[in-house]
Amino acid sequence: MKQSMKLNTLLAAFSLMAATSAQAEPQMATGGAMAWQCAPCHGTNGQEFVEAMPPLAGMPAKQFIDAMIAYREGTRAAIIMDRVARGFTDDEIKAMAAWFEKQPVKQWENTSLTESLEAQAAAEATGGQE
Amino acid sequence: MSQLENKVFDSKVTRRDLIKVFGASAVAATGLFGASKNAFAKSAPHVVVLGGGVGGSTFAKYLRFADPDVKITIIEQFPEYITCLRSNDVIVGYHTLDELTFNLDTIKSKYNVNVVIDKVIGADFDKRTVQTAKGHTLSYDKLVVSPGIDFKFEDYEGHSKELAETKIFHGYKAGPQTLALRQQLLSVPKGGTAIIAPPQNPFRCPPGPYERASFFAEYFQKHNPTAKVIVLDPKDRFTKDGPFKKAWERLYGYKTDNSLIEWVSGSEGGRVLSVDGDNLSVETMAGTFKADMINIIPNQRAGKLAQKLGLTDASGWCPIKRESMESQIQPGVYVLGDSSIADAMPKSGYSANSQAKVCARAVADTLRGNELGKAIYSNVCYSLAGENYGVSIAAIYEVRDGLIQPKGKSAGVSPITDKPAQPILEAVYQKNWQREFVKDVFS
Repeated sequence: MKQSMKLNTLLAAFSLMAATSAQAEPQMATGGAMAWQCAPCHGTNGQEFVEAMPPLAGMPAKQFIDAMIAYREGTRAAIIMDRVARGFTDDEIKAMAAWFEKQPVKQWENTSLTESLEAQAAAEATGGQE
Repeated sequence: MSQLENKVFDSKVTRRDLIKVFGASAVAATGLFGASKNAFAKSAPHVVVLGGGVGGSTFAKYLRFADPDVKITIIEQFPEYITCLRSNDVIVGYHTLDELTFNLDTIKSKYNVNVVIDKVIGADFDKRTVQTAKGHTLSYDKLVVSPGIDFKFEDYEGHSKELAETKIFHGYKAGPQTLALRQQLLSVPKGGTAIIAPPQNPFRCPPGPYERASFFAEYFQKHNPTAKVIVLDPKDRFTKDGPFKKAWERLYGYKTDNSLIEWVSGSEGGRVLSVDGDNLSVETMAGTFKADMINIIPNQRAGKLAQKLGLTDASGWCPIKRESMESQIQPGVYVLGDSSIADAMPKSGYSANSQAKVCARAVADTLRGNELGKAIYSNVCYSLAGENYGVSIAAIYEVRDGLIQPKGKSAGVSPITDKPAQPILEAVYQKNWQREFVKDVFS
């Protein structure tokens, strides 16, 4: 398949990062690995904009972090997100926030594979840091 | 084999494409791809997926995310797939079967996945090949199996596969079984009785039988108010039993003389020992029950393909490594979904989707020679206790002490509150979830 130079560079950066970080047992899942788990309700990569569950793609990181911590601490009313949020540490929430912020703000069905791979690689390349 | 491959893998890859992918220096320096114009496509590892249901389809899509270059082939027996999830809706008419029917067209076109409609009849793990009914042999580097469940009819005297296809339907693989149950429910005479007999643990969709009982009660309430549903259970507890029973009290008069639902627990003798298809009756420890329809959801084990390939242990299910879903029995083979032993995770579509994503990263990392990342799993099961009354269970999971266990304090069921909005919103979310989930799986 065809890939853009941008994606190529990002993939190279990511595999280098993976190689250097492979020394020690990982302490937590990557932002992407965690973010994928949100898809059944919030859309692939958070790109569902036409349902009751809010889209996560492109959400400003601070907004994501504040919401998740409020759900977890019980200071924001919830139906199910309080239970979900209690599964994540501060660092994990931050890593997911940084990852989702980089995803395209458009419906998943209208996003090409290449566009998504670029966005996912760019998000992974941050290493979960803002 | 070439006729099985779609054009993605056979397309000529030009030097220009390779430079785009790897950069000019890589192509020039290694000369690796210089010899053959399609060496790139041919040299990529091949991951073969057996089963194009929730686990297999999700896996193929997300493996493409994790590795843009790997060759992926799904072998699926049927050209269309009907989701078991929300098939209870079809029994009472809240959904049609068509609305639950999907195919792999988008997986094939958008994610460059080779889709083969054929039946797998065997595998050679030493040679790393699988054989199909149409006589093809496919080589793989990694094999992923997502074969669903199989029923243990032999656990009930008088029961059989034949009886389950003619009279005592299970409705636990969606399709003709679902429609047959609908037909039976609509035919229950005034003041009649429907029996639902849930299985022993573990089984597919733990809330499924209880959602079904709720729907039968709701149907009777509207159309046949003197009829009732009796649940004959081998167990004393079931998932979300707190919120379910509260809903039954609120909606169907549960625990009153006029209750539309009666639940007979294992301790009360609810386990079905035998079934008489001609007289429509079952024997239990608590005595004989006669009904106008009997829905036995039999005890279960891993899907037939998993058994045939020798991936199951004495429990009847497939032991896996928790970090990757790789079989403990066959290295290089991965088992997803209902067939796998995933500890605290329920056998749900959501779990299969979650496991497929962890597995996709593990397969991609392994093919690259990288260490595995840390696994994270999740499950949310929304069920309906009535058309507009939802109950849920949710958890995030991690691997701890060698087992998949709830992470943090995430595990929990719907709280029972006096807020009328809670169950209504859960029902709204349930419907959202269903629409979204199938998109994440099939598109």
